[in-house]
Amino acid sequence: MLEIKNLHVSIEEEGTEILKGLDLKVGAGEVHAIMGPNGSGKSTLASVLAGRDGYEVTEGTVRFDGADLLDMEADERAREGLFLAFQYPVELPGVSMSNFLKQAVNSVREHRGQEPLPASDFLALMREKAALVDLDPALKARSVNEGFSGGEKKRNEIFQLAMLDPKLAILDETDSGLDIDALRIVADGVNQLRNEKRSFVVITHYQRLLDYIVPDHVHVLVNGRIVRSGGKELALELEEKGYDWIREETGVNA
Amino acid sequence: MIMADKSLETAFVEAFDRKVGLLGNGSSDAWLTSRRQAIKVFADQGFPGRKSESYKYTPVRKWMKDGPTLDATRPETGPVPPFGAFDGIHVSTMNGSLLDERVDGLPAGLTIMGLRTAYEQNPVFVRDHMSRIADIERDSFTALAAAFADDGILIHVAAGTVVEKPIYVHHVGLSANGFVQPRVLVVAEDNSQAHIVEHFGPAGAGTTFENRMVEMFVGPRANLRHVVVYEREHDARFVNGLHVHQAQESVFATNHITLGGGMVRHNLNFLPDAEHCETHLNGLYIARDDAHIDNHTLVDHAKPNCFSNELFKGIISDTSTGVFNGKVLVRQDAQKINAYQSSKSILLDKTAHIYAKPELEIYADDVKCSHGATTGMLDEDALFYLMARGIPKSRARVMLLEAFARDVVDLVTIEPVKEYLNDRLHEILAR
Repeated sequence: MLEIKNLHVSIEEEGTEILKGLDLKVGAGEVHAIMGPNGSGKSTLASVLAGRDGYEVTEGTVRFDGADLLDMEADERAREGLFLAFQYPVELPGVSMSNFLKQAVNSVREHRGQEPLPASDFLALMREKAALVDLDPALKARSVNEGFSGGEKKRNEIFQLAMLDPKLAILDETDSGLDIDALRIVADGVNQLRNEKRSFVVITHYQRLLDYIVPDHVHVLVNGRIVRSGGKELALELEEKGYDWIREETGVNA
Repeated sequence: MIMADKSLETAFVEAFDRKVGLLGNGSSDAWLTSRRQAIKVFADQGFPGRKSESYKYTPVRKWMKDGPTLDATRPETGPVPPFGAFDGIHVSTMNGSLLDERVDGLPAGLTIMGLRTAYEQNPVFVRDHMSRIADIERDSFTALAAAFADDGILIHVAAGTVVEKPIYVHHVGLSANGFVQPRVLVVAEDNSQAHIVEHFGPAGAGTTFENRMVEMFVGPRANLRHVVVYEREHDARFVNGLHVHQAQESVFATNHITLGGGMVRHNLNFLPDAEHCETHLNGLYIARDDAHIDNHTLVDHAKPNCFSNELFKGIISDTSTGVFNGKVLVRQDAQKINAYQSSKSILLDKTAHIYAKPELEIYADDVKCSHGATTGMLDEDALFYLMARGIPKSRARVMLLEAFARDVVDLVTIEPVKEYLNDRLHEILAR
């Protein structure tokens, strides 16, 4: 599904290298957690995979479902089935949720050679998917994320994930700023969207989210590289011993 | 433009002399007398020069050098107006005067007629209103229009009359390469209500210049709404002088949507001249290619307990220029004023320019006033968010620009006009 090899990434303007030779392989239907301290490069990884401007890939390759991901624009990646749940979802005043989703869903459908969804089917789909994360269907008349609470914004990301039905979803610190109830709702939504085809990369600072979204693999990202990989128990060990332990263990300074 | 070897001012004064005569022959015609006064004022002032503060960013002279002529012949018909089939009352103008003087089927209490005819039938009424609110000393384009205009339209709404349907004024046509200076007089008497929509469509008339003078009187407790949709071609130039007088407890709202024209200058002046007036002035403009679009507004709060709200938005691309100058004046006795102003613009290209100058001048001490002016490029984070959902970049841009324009268009309360504007915006922005 996703194969990252020796990925080196710098910030375009200043040239600071953030990712320094990252390797990661995610198979279909797998859930991978990437944990790391602040500044380790977690969000840069999410941004580079989604195609945000401002980063320069100086070395390495990323294959997505066999294709060269880095060769595609952000919108092409999304249409090919890559989804990023934003750490900080953007408010779009004047863009209604229903228009936004219609444009997004139909762009993806068009790419898959499908007809645009008829209005009634679209509304039904919205109702069904909004229920996954307990979002009020009345929000369709509201502007995207405008005036949404922190929890609503994160639930809205998962709602969009459900609407777009991607092959690979990257959750960028989806747990940040959520209270325990909101976290449960979000995690429940994600768990219902897990299946044998869809892969997830869950990026988080804390182990807490992984109590609810149980990963198949855990990777520890420090200073731009994955320094240790293991099963779900690695997250617990990390929670207990802290990131300093991994730095000492691996000799990598963050 | 008129004669290259003379100054522009001289050319206009001489043209006036030829057409009208600078000197009176003892005429008792008050309108004619006022026109002669106006040309004198114009001759003294001349066109605003480089030092003029209010035309600093819009040196109108630049658009007067070539083309439009004062002596063009008036065509008989013009293009079909896009709002022509909407439910409402319809009149069309050519060079700013009625295409057909007979306007049938008007509801009781509503009069629409040629201003010249109105003056002949009721000189006292017309004279009492004409140039009462527009100050020809303050603006030489107003003086010039007052001098040259010999006709225009009168819309009169009698006391207590509620005109249910919108009044559409289709400014369909102009003389080829014409320099046209019409007047509009709107009088909404006590307790009346009306909604006027003016549309300026592509006139197919080459390089034209319209310099018009609009005076509106909103009587006590009257409610007058006004929309201007300007979409003439790129070689059309427009100086639009609007002067609004409001009596007590009146409500006035205007929305100026500028989608075309090579040079457009809206001079929008409001005088809420009694207590408890409500004034809404809004505008949206799209400047493309090398267009120059200037919104110049003045709200003169002369009396206490009034409310005014102003929102202007612009989308400026290519090598075009947008100008916003909004002045709110609160005079010393005008306590308890709530006056809000906001100007927002998006520059789509590095070669596009915006000059935004909000001015608050407050002499009263118990008022609530605010203003804000923002200018920026299209929000990159918002664009990325849309693209990250699979929406192609070009479509995402249009969505964001439409969203930006929407809160001004949403202030248009006539559904078919709003729909038309949304469609046009989509078309223009997707280009």
